[in-house]
Amino acid sequence: MTPQTRKNQITSAKKVIPYLMAGDPDLDVTKALLLEASKAGVWAVELGIPFSDPTADGPVIQKAAIRALSDRTSLSSVLSFLGTIPCSERPPVFIMTYFNLFLSLTIEEFVREAKRVGGIAGAVIPDLSFEDSKEVRKAFKASGLALVPFISPTTSLPRIKKILATADGFIYFVSLLGTTGKALTLSSTMEERVRDLCLRTKLPVCVGFGIQTPEMAQKILEFSDGVIVGSRLVQEENDPVKWGSLLRQFCEVARASAPSRHQ
Amino acid sequence: MKNRKQVSESARLPDHSGYFGEFGGRFVSETLMEALYELEESFKKAWSDRSFQKEYQNVLTEFVGRPSPLTFAEGLTRHAGGARIYLKREDLNHTGAHKINNAVGQALLAKRMGKMRLIAETGAGQHGVATATVAAKYGFDCEIFMGSEDARRQSLNVFRMNLLGAKVIEVDGGTKTLKDAISEALRDWAQSVLTTHCVMGTAFGPHPFPLMVRSFQSIIGREARQQIMKKEGRLPDALVACVGGGSNSLGLFHHFIGDESVRMYGIEAGGRSLSPGDHAARFQGGRVGVLQGSKTFVLQNPDGQILRTHSVSAGLDYSAVGPELAYYFETGRVHFDMVGDEEALQAFDTLSRLEGIIPALESSHAIAYGIRLAREMGQGKTLIINLSGRGDKDVLEVARLRGGVLS
Repeated sequence: MTPQTRKNQITSAKKVIPYLMAGDPDLDVTKALLLEASKAGVWAVELGIPFSDPTADGPVIQKAAIRALSDRTSLSSVLSFLGTIPCSERPPVFIMTYFNLFLSLTIEEFVREAKRVGGIAGAVIPDLSFEDSKEVRKAFKASGLALVPFISPTTSLPRIKKILATADGFIYFVSLLGTTGKALTLSSTMEERVRDLCLRTKLPVCVGFGIQTPEMAQKILEFSDGVIVGSRLVQEENDPVKWGSLLRQFCEVARASAPSRHQ
Repeated sequence: MKNRKQVSESARLPDHSGYFGEFGGRFVSETLMEALYELEESFKKAWSDRSFQKEYQNVLTEFVGRPSPLTFAEGLTRHAGGARIYLKREDLNHTGAHKINNAVGQALLAKRMGKMRLIAETGAGQHGVATATVAAKYGFDCEIFMGSEDARRQSLNVFRMNLLGAKVIEVDGGTKTLKDAISEALRDWAQSVLTTHCVMGTAFGPHPFPLMVRSFQSIIGREARQQIMKKEGRLPDALVACVGGGSNSLGLFHHFIGDESVRMYGIEAGGRSLSPGDHAARFQGGRVGVLQGSKTFVLQNPDGQILRTHSVSAGLDYSAVGPELAYYFETGRVHFDMVGDEEALQAFDTLSRLEGIIPALESSHAIAYGIRLAREMGQGKTLIINLSGRGDKDVLEVARLRGGVLS
């Protein structure tokens, strides 16, 4: 099943995207987490590949990266690992990591591998700015992969328009100034910005950074199309059962939310 | 002719996207992008604004103590037995190194931009001290990020920063050195970007930092050029500078880039050996990658994970190198070589005893190579070594390495 077909099937439901760190503490656990995510009915997962110098991440994900690196997890080892799980048994995957790891493969190789493995919807690359991403976007687009763009609280309107013009996959709306895992307080400014964004794009607008509880997710889902839950879940990664039950709470909240309006 | 054209074109780099050839760019999170544009615009406006230039020059004269002398190193020249060696005396600047040139410039810029707080990363501590100094002078709040291993090696500088009213935040992540301090500074900036200016200390990171730092440091070469013309009546045959990120080397090189007859040597830290993790010679053991905002040569393993580095000098102990230098490596304009810990420590002694100047361990790498080069070049030639900083900060560490304990 391609992510596109799945997107069409549940096109208006609110989306939950868990972030998990591949290889934390090893790929067997990652496999268990992917199966849990599939059972919970997530829209997609963001599969983090550990990088030694994660400048956009807070302490929780930094520590997870160190654990995963001690198991020698790499972009190519994760791609091969995904290839061992049938696509039907895992949710669509967005690979999430820093640009240097893609360069260690070359973009062409990554694209080829992603197609071979299947079930990879695209990538989220926090340090690849819109300005520097032209070639990557082109290579991704040519093979049906999405390079997910970020919009942050500091992104100006002219810039938002530029980013939306070439956007693909979903819009990653960064909820706060800072790094992943920082405590988020909801504000009317954020709500207004997300609502405005939803009017400007057909793509799902998903909010991430600092979403700690299903209650907070519920409030954010009132005005967005989805939530990305990272650090809070990463804290439970060593226990797939506990991780799964926490994730299901987020998914239940999403299912109970009114469907997205613009789709 | 073609060569000349290439050279003069390279003096105009980076291009409008912040690239020097294929190197540079702005590889940071979306949150920082608008701040980078704001900074670029403010910098370009200030740099071409006469009143800003006047204020900057005035602070360099009255506060930093510029121009720094170009000293003929008689003892060192005799010792090497070849080319005449001149030392560009950045060690005589206020706070003891070239770092203050850039810190002053960025502080004046931050003031113009209405920022209230300065943050900075530091390796050897010289940039941290320089930033803490200008923060004290202009009334900014100031926090300095420093790897805990570097803070141990450079405890004297930590104390100086505290005296100047800055808060030093020791970074325990990763390798506990400069690279991790930069990551932490970038993380802080993503959170504080509306009120804070991040004072990058070297010609590295996302555009416009490489351009801005080079510009604020280019005073070194501008003075050196006038001084050597006055003393020797002609351009030098060679320039030598140590290379961490690239601020002191580009500072010296910039005004000579168009002079084909002037050979340029950038000296990296050879550390203990050329095994991965034992050195910081990016052009010897690195390949093109992206780290902390910039596409450049990076020491990394086959998976793309950044390697540890080692050098006796904290200021050269870094896994990547400024993008402009990567470009000069590719084009061959700058020749890169390396000097290991042992040879640098010998040069530390040699300069102390022959010239009465205790050099920073970073600069000792350039001194060591300069001695070799002067010998090779032979008599009748001249060369300038950038003495980027003084060694007061290093005496405790050198004593410790030699088994003596000072307290």
